[in-house]
Amino acid sequence: MILKNKVFKKGSIVLLILLMLTSMVVGCSKTATNEDATVADTLELKETTDAEEPVIIRLTGGDYGYPTPFQHYPRGPGGYKMQLVFDSLLERDENGLIPWMAKEWEISEDGLEYTFTIHEDIQWQDGKPLTMEDIQFSFEYFEKHPPVWNPVTMDGKAFVEKIEIIDKDKIRFTISEKNVTILEKIGDVRMIPKHIWEAIEDPDAFQGEEAVIGCGPYLLTNYNKEHGTYEFTAFENYWGSKPVVEKIQFVPASDEVLAFENNEVDLASIGSDLLARYQGDSRFKIIQNPGFWGYRLLFNMEKKSIFKEKEVRQAIAYGIDQEELVEKVERGAAIVASAGYLPKDHIWYNDGVKKYPFDVEAAKERIGDRKITFQLLTGNSNTEVRIAELIKISLKEVGIDVDIKSVDTKTRDHAINTKDYEVALTGHGGWGSDADILRERYATTVQAGSSPSSNIIPGYENEEIKALAQQQLGETNVEKRKKIIFQLQEIIAEEVSFLPLYNTTGYTVYQPSKYDDWMYMYDHHTVSHSKLSYLQRK
Amino acid sequence: MKKIIQRILEFSLVGKIALIVIGFFIVLAIFSSQLSHYPYDLPSGAALQPPSREHWMGTDDLGIDIWAQLCYGARVSIMVGFTTAFLSVAGGGLVGVCAGYYGGKIDGWMMRLTDLMMIIPQLPMMIVLGAFFGPSLKNIIFVLTLFSWTAPARIVRSKVLSIKEEKYILVAKSYGAGFFYMIQKHFLPQTFSLMMVSFIQLISRAIVAEAGLSFLGLGDPTSKSWGLMLNHGMAFRGIYFTDFWKWWILFPLVCILTMVLAVSFVGKEIERKEVSSYGKTTTKG
Repeated sequence: MILKNKVFKKGSIVLLILLMLTSMVVGCSKTATNEDATVADTLELKETTDAEEPVIIRLTGGDYGYPTPFQHYPRGPGGYKMQLVFDSLLERDENGLIPWMAKEWEISEDGLEYTFTIHEDIQWQDGKPLTMEDIQFSFEYFEKHPPVWNPVTMDGKAFVEKIEIIDKDKIRFTISEKNVTILEKIGDVRMIPKHIWEAIEDPDAFQGEEAVIGCGPYLLTNYNKEHGTYEFTAFENYWGSKPVVEKIQFVPASDEVLAFENNEVDLASIGSDLLARYQGDSRFKIIQNPGFWGYRLLFNMEKKSIFKEKEVRQAIAYGIDQEELVEKVERGAAIVASAGYLPKDHIWYNDGVKKYPFDVEAAKERIGDRKITFQLLTGNSNTEVRIAELIKISLKEVGIDVDIKSVDTKTRDHAINTKDYEVALTGHGGWGSDADILRERYATTVQAGSSPSSNIIPGYENEEIKALAQQQLGETNVEKRKKIIFQLQEIIAEEVSFLPLYNTTGYTVYQPSKYDDWMYMYDHHTVSHSKLSYLQRK
Repeated sequence: MKKIIQRILEFSLVGKIALIVIGFFIVLAIFSSQLSHYPYDLPSGAALQPPSREHWMGTDDLGIDIWAQLCYGARVSIMVGFTTAFLSVAGGGLVGVCAGYYGGKIDGWMMRLTDLMMIIPQLPMMIVLGAFFGPSLKNIIFVLTLFSWTAPARIVRSKVLSIKEEKYILVAKSYGAGFFYMIQKHFLPQTFSLMMVSFIQLISRAIVAEAGLSFLGLGDPTSKSWGLMLNHGMAFRGIYFTDFWKWWILFPLVCILTMVLAVSFVGKEIERKEVSSYGKTTTKG
């Protein structure tokens, strides 16, 4: 009896603890979700920043590789970290290309010669002066050793025919064919110091302090691969606009919103469900990102020849409810993508292209008596798995069986680059770039770099698209080029050689009292990626 | 049967409640499709609806009924738990009997293998293997079994080592009893209760491990296990600053907690009985 009582007592204690635990969870969350409690209750807001105090910005970290042009991870957070250290001839602001290392440039009448005048007194971060030889060397080195983001080649070939040093501050590039995108491409090439890199045979394995010496506004002062942390410190002898932010730190944060609320990071992406929490509070500013980041569904026509049939691709487009994806997965903070690729926020978006609203009958009609099944490869992020689930559900309605395979993001990206998939779901930025992206996505057969946006379409070639893509490249008359781009979008939408799903237009929240100079580049979706966000601007 | 009922009646109150809880989840698992009006894998309402008369436990971000998913999730958890535990105990038991019975080099090799498996850090290894084999329920069961058979193997071996020196075993051997006869007639009956304790312990371990692996994104992404429901819920951006966690996270969390606790309590009851009957069983035979 005594034993029984003891056991009962023990049991009661355990049950009590359980009850307490549950009520604690409920209790804790009440403080977090109580709408009456203002955000200020849970935040320790920083007073207005003293002008003398150096500004330190903390952002959500994660390992994106060592920030050299050869070792960063190809996705945006990797590449843009590298660009803090390595400068280029031109830069991008809200409206377009702006002079950067090159203070001015001239284009010859035949459109084949580009002469740049470079700022004087540009210094490498190790104190040595930058010369025209360094610029020439950077181009030649990248041709020999392609960097991760590779702007020096087009269709696998280097487009610069000759580089001449004209003066101690003038350099001329000669190209073989007239091409409207060359200025942007030359302007985007990162400069690397000749005195360091000329001895490097294998840049992919070159690590250490010397590998991250550039002439950009920030020095890499800390990097920890395991923790995914970075620290960039302002370079005091920077030649250009002075850095306003003294340090940019990337710190680990398992939940970005929670970290923002705890003042651990200074910027957070929020979904539409959290808008009400920050709206109307003057301590916070919310900005909506332009829809230049998006998801698309890739068909591997080499591996699964049924996708060569246009009707099958169109059936899939009709069979996926893109509106539902936007509503459920993004909670409304996205726009259905255009089947002509250029998103609604793009300056040359063509609203007249064929659209594919969810239509079971239209899809079934196109499928006919074909039996279609495929494996859908996706990353393992929650968003991607949810998109895949909804695609599976809606395609089942039209009679297409989908088997979902989810792997981690890097494995998925690698599988796409090596064409090891049947259908793949991928998401990336860069949808707002020059309309020449249509040629890069639909008409190239040689992959440039390993960026997740630069994959080609395996097993697909369309002569009409190719011809128009080539034609727009040489068309210097803006109106005529725009017409070609519009026509191109129409054909692309009809063909759906891959299916753009939606473009995200999420929100970013920050405290303006801490820092308020965030800036979007004209073609990009994230303020923290812009170098100019951290520099003094006129 | 009578013996089992007798045994259950000897359980403490907590043990009995635990057994009822397990029974409840088994019923959920078996009759999941009948117990819920809505499908577990198709949207049946608006997204993220709070609990209501229509959706007792609300809906998730895709508009799928949470109650339906919980019922189906019980099936996944119980299947993973029981299958892993069964395979581990059967495999580990066989290894233990062989090692104990044959002794010598076979024992040495088998036990060194067991030691090797035991010193490998399990969770990181499971994560690596889970990622390597790809996310599916079968792979999860396989990976969990791979790391679970060692405990029963050692327990059974030590028991067999002590039994095999008994006189009746020596007599049976001298009359020409073979290995399988010995297993069937002597080793299995006497190690059965020990194996049962391991079995029960492994169930709760496997359920937690499956939830953990699914939570880390290594489970089958389209299965509706409790761990995966938690994974989806907790990955929702800023969920704790919305009301959604109150049904989307809390319900699967409570299910995992209660199931694991219930299984542990039952295991404890069986173990308690075993300890109190030590020394009595060896004289049987």
